[in-house]
Amino acid sequence: MTPKYRRAALKTSVLIIIVIIIIAGLVGGYYVMTSTTPTTITTTQTTTQSTTTITTATTTTTSVSTTTSASTTTATTTTTTTFTSTVRPIKIAVVSDIGGRGDLSFNDMAFKGGAEAEKDFGVEMVEIISEKESDYVPNLRTAASDPDVKLIVGVGYLLSDALAEVAPKFPDKFFAGIDTYAQSIIISKTNTYAPNLLDIAYEEHKGSALVGALAALTAIHYGKPYIGVVLGIEIPVLWKFEIGYKWGADWAIKWYQKKFGTTTVPGIGITPIKERVLWTYTGTFSDITKGYEAAKAMYAKDAVAVYNVAGPLGLGINQAIQEISKQKGLTTGPPFWIGVDADQDWINPGFILSSMMKRVDKGVYFSAKWVVENKFRDIVKGSNGSIVLGIGTKVAGETFEGISVSTLSDLDAFIQMGLDAEKLTGKKVLPMPPDEIKTVAKAMREAQPSWVWEGMDALQSEIRNGQVTVPLALTKDVVDYWRGQLG
Amino acid sequence: MKLSSRAKAVSQSFFAIIIGLLIGSFLMIIFGFNPINAYYALFVGAFGTVTDVLETLAFAVPLMLTGLTFAVGVRAGLFNIGSEGQMYLGALAAVVIGGTLDLPFGLGVVCATLAGAFVSLLWSLTPAILKVTRGVHEVISTIMFNWIAFWLTTYLIVYHFGDPTSAERSIRVLPSSRYLILFEGSTLTTVIFVAVAYCVLVYFILWGTKVGYELRVEGSNPDAGRYAGVKVWKTTLLAFMLGGIASGLAGASQIIGRPPVWSFYATLGNVAGLGFDGLGVALIGRNHPIGVIAASIFFGALIQGSRYMQYNAGVYFELVRAITGIIIIALSVPEAITVLRRWVKK
Repeated sequence: MTPKYRRAALKTSVLIIIVIIIIAGLVGGYYVMTSTTPTTITTTQTTTQSTTTITTATTTTTSVSTTTSASTTTATTTTTTTFTSTVRPIKIAVVSDIGGRGDLSFNDMAFKGGAEAEKDFGVEMVEIISEKESDYVPNLRTAASDPDVKLIVGVGYLLSDALAEVAPKFPDKFFAGIDTYAQSIIISKTNTYAPNLLDIAYEEHKGSALVGALAALTAIHYGKPYIGVVLGIEIPVLWKFEIGYKWGADWAIKWYQKKFGTTTVPGIGITPIKERVLWTYTGTFSDITKGYEAAKAMYAKDAVAVYNVAGPLGLGINQAIQEISKQKGLTTGPPFWIGVDADQDWINPGFILSSMMKRVDKGVYFSAKWVVENKFRDIVKGSNGSIVLGIGTKVAGETFEGISVSTLSDLDAFIQMGLDAEKLTGKKVLPMPPDEIKTVAKAMREAQPSWVWEGMDALQSEIRNGQVTVPLALTKDVVDYWRGQLG
Repeated sequence: MKLSSRAKAVSQSFFAIIIGLLIGSFLMIIFGFNPINAYYALFVGAFGTVTDVLETLAFAVPLMLTGLTFAVGVRAGLFNIGSEGQMYLGALAAVVIGGTLDLPFGLGVVCATLAGAFVSLLWSLTPAILKVTRGVHEVISTIMFNWIAFWLTTYLIVYHFGDPTSAERSIRVLPSSRYLILFEGSTLTTVIFVAVAYCVLVYFILWGTKVGYELRVEGSNPDAGRYAGVKVWKTTLLAFMLGGIASGLAGASQIIGRPPVWSFYATLGNVAGLGFDGLGVALIGRNHPIGVIAASIFFGALIQGSRYMQYNAGVYFELVRAITGIIIIALSVPEAITVLRRWVKK
C-alpha cells in the first residue's frame, strides 16, 4: 500500500517539477534571446512596470507565476546592462596556460599587463584560464569568435601549437604569444608567416648578465670568494641564463678594476677566473628540495648570492637562506639570493638582492597598444612575426624594452599581486605587512655601497648603447666556448 | 533491463540533474551571477555551432573509453580504477610507434592504435592475474599500478622519447600516423568512429555472447554465478582485458587523434585525469556501454560549454569548475549508491 502511494507522490512531484522547469526555461530563454539585441531604455521600463503588475496581481496564486516574475526581473537586469554597454570598447582576451591566476609569476604578470592596457587605452580585458592542455585550442577559438575581441594573447610557450592552429583561421583577428614559437611552426608548414600573429621573445641573457654583475660586485664588497646559480633542467633556453650570468660577473670585475684603478680585486677577484661562479643544473623545475640542497652547498662554500633559474626552486634556495639566517640570527644578507621572471624581492625581504624581471606584462601591454594604434599588422610584417623584447631592443624603429632588474618602485605592483593571491587562495602569501616589506627592502638596498648599483647601471647603459654585446648561447658549441673561458 | 527499471533510472537521472542545476544556481546567486545567463552560455557553448558540437564530441571520445573500462569492471563485479595508468601507457605506445615508424598512411594509424591498445592490455593483465591467482584486491593493485605507470611514462618521455628541440614534450607523431581531422577548425578526428565502434563491440560481447552473459551474472550475483558454474578467473580476465583495450585506445586517441600537438607532454597533461573522469562517466551512463557513450557526450558538453560560462557569463573559472563538478556528482549519485550497495553486500 505504501509503495503505491510513494510512487504516485514521486510521479506527481516529478511532473510538477517538469512543468516548472519548462515554463521557467521558456520564459528565461525568451528573455535571454531578446536581451542579446540591444533595446532602448523605454522597453526596459515598460518591462519593469509590467513585471510589477504581474507580481501584484498574482501574489496569492500559484508558485508558477512567482517563477515567471523572478526570471523576468533577472532578464530585465540583463537588458539594462546590454543597453549601457552599447558603446563597445575593443576587447582583448588573455588566455592563460594551466598555471592560471595566482601563480605570482607568468600568468599573473600577463593579466597585469592587460589591466594596464585597460587603464591606458580604454580596452576591455577578458580572461580565460585553461584547465588542461586540450583547452588551449577551444579557448583561443572561443575568444577569437567573439566579434568584439580584436586581440587574443596566449601566455606561455605551451600555447605555440594552439596559436599556430587557430591564428590562420581568424585572419581578421590579431594574435600574440608570449614566449611562443608559433610562427616557426606555421612557416615550416606553409613557408610563410601568418600576417596576424606575433611571437614575443625575451632577452634573458642580458638580464642575467646584469644580475651577474650585481652579484659579483656584492661579492667584492663583502670579500666573498664565490657567487652561485641554481638552474633547472639543462635545456638550450637555460644556457642563455648560465652564460649571461657568468659573463656579467666577469664584466663586473673588469669594471671594478677600471673604476678604482687597481688590479687587486678583493674576494671573488682572488678566486681563479674559472671557479668564480658555482653553477648546478638540478635536472628539475619542480623538486624544491633539489633547489635547497644545491643552494645549501653553495652557501656552505661562502657564496655571497645565488641566482634562481629554476622557477619554484627559488623557494628551496630561500629555505637554505632562512636556515642560515636563523642559525646566525641575521636580519639581512649576506647571504642573498636573486629572483627570476617576476619581482620576487618581497618573498624574503632583506635577503633578496634583486630580481631579473622578464616583463610578460609589457608584452601584453605593447600588443594591445599596437592593436589600438592600428600598427599590429605592420609590426608583424616588419619582423616576420616574431619580436624580441629586452634591453635597448627596438621594434619598428622605436624602443620597446622587456627585461629589467627590479627596483624598489617595482615592488608595489608585486606586493599587490601577492595580496590578490591571498584573496584568491585564502592562504597567507606575504611574509609581513606590505609597508614593512618595503622598509626592509629599502634598508637592504641602502646598506650596499652605491658603486655596486652604479656598476650594474653602467653595464645596462653599455648594453643599451651597443658598447658591449652579451653572448647569446643557444648551441652547444657556444656554451662550450664560454665555459672554457669562464668556467 | 526491464522497462519499469529503465524508466526509474531515467527519472532518477532527471531528478539528479535538476538538483545539480539548482545547487549550481544557488552557488552562482551567492556569488552574484545570473544563473540563467550562465546555463544558457553553457548550453550554447556546447551545442551552439557546428564547431562547438564537434568540440564537445572531441572531449567525449576519450571519456567514453575510460568510462567503458570502469563500466565493464562493474558489470563483472570489479572496481577497476586502473584506467588512468593503462591510458598513460597506451598513449606512450602510440607516440612511440607513431613517431618512429614511417609507414604508409592507413597502416601507420592502424599500427599506432593497435600498439596503444596492446600495451595497455598488457599493463592491465598484471592486476588481473594478481586478482585471480592471489586474490589481491583490484582497487589496491590498480591504484599502485597507476602510479607506477605515471612515473614510468614520465621517465620514458623525458629520457628516451623526448623531443630534442623542446624539453616539455615527447617526439611528434609522424603525419602518416595521425587520424584525419573531420572538420577544419575543430579538434575532432576520425578516431571517434573507432571509439564508438569499440563501445558497440563491447555491448555485443556483454549482451550477445555466452562469456559476456557469464560476466554479467558473476557481477550481479556471484553466488548464482558459482552455482551455474561460471569460472570467475575467466570473467575477471575478460573484464580487465576489455577495459585495458578501451583505456589504451583512450590514451592513443589523445595523441594520434587530437590536434594540434601530436605529441605527449612530459607532464602527461594531454591525458592526465581522463581515467578518473571515466568513473563519473560510467556512473552517469549506468555502467552500460551505450549509456556510457551518451554520458561522455554530456561530460564533453560540460567541458566545452563551461568555457563559455567563463567567457560569456563571466563566472569565475573556479566557480565554473565547482558547478560542473556538482552537476556530475549529483548525476552519479543514484548509480553510485547501487554500486556501493552491491559492493557492501558482497
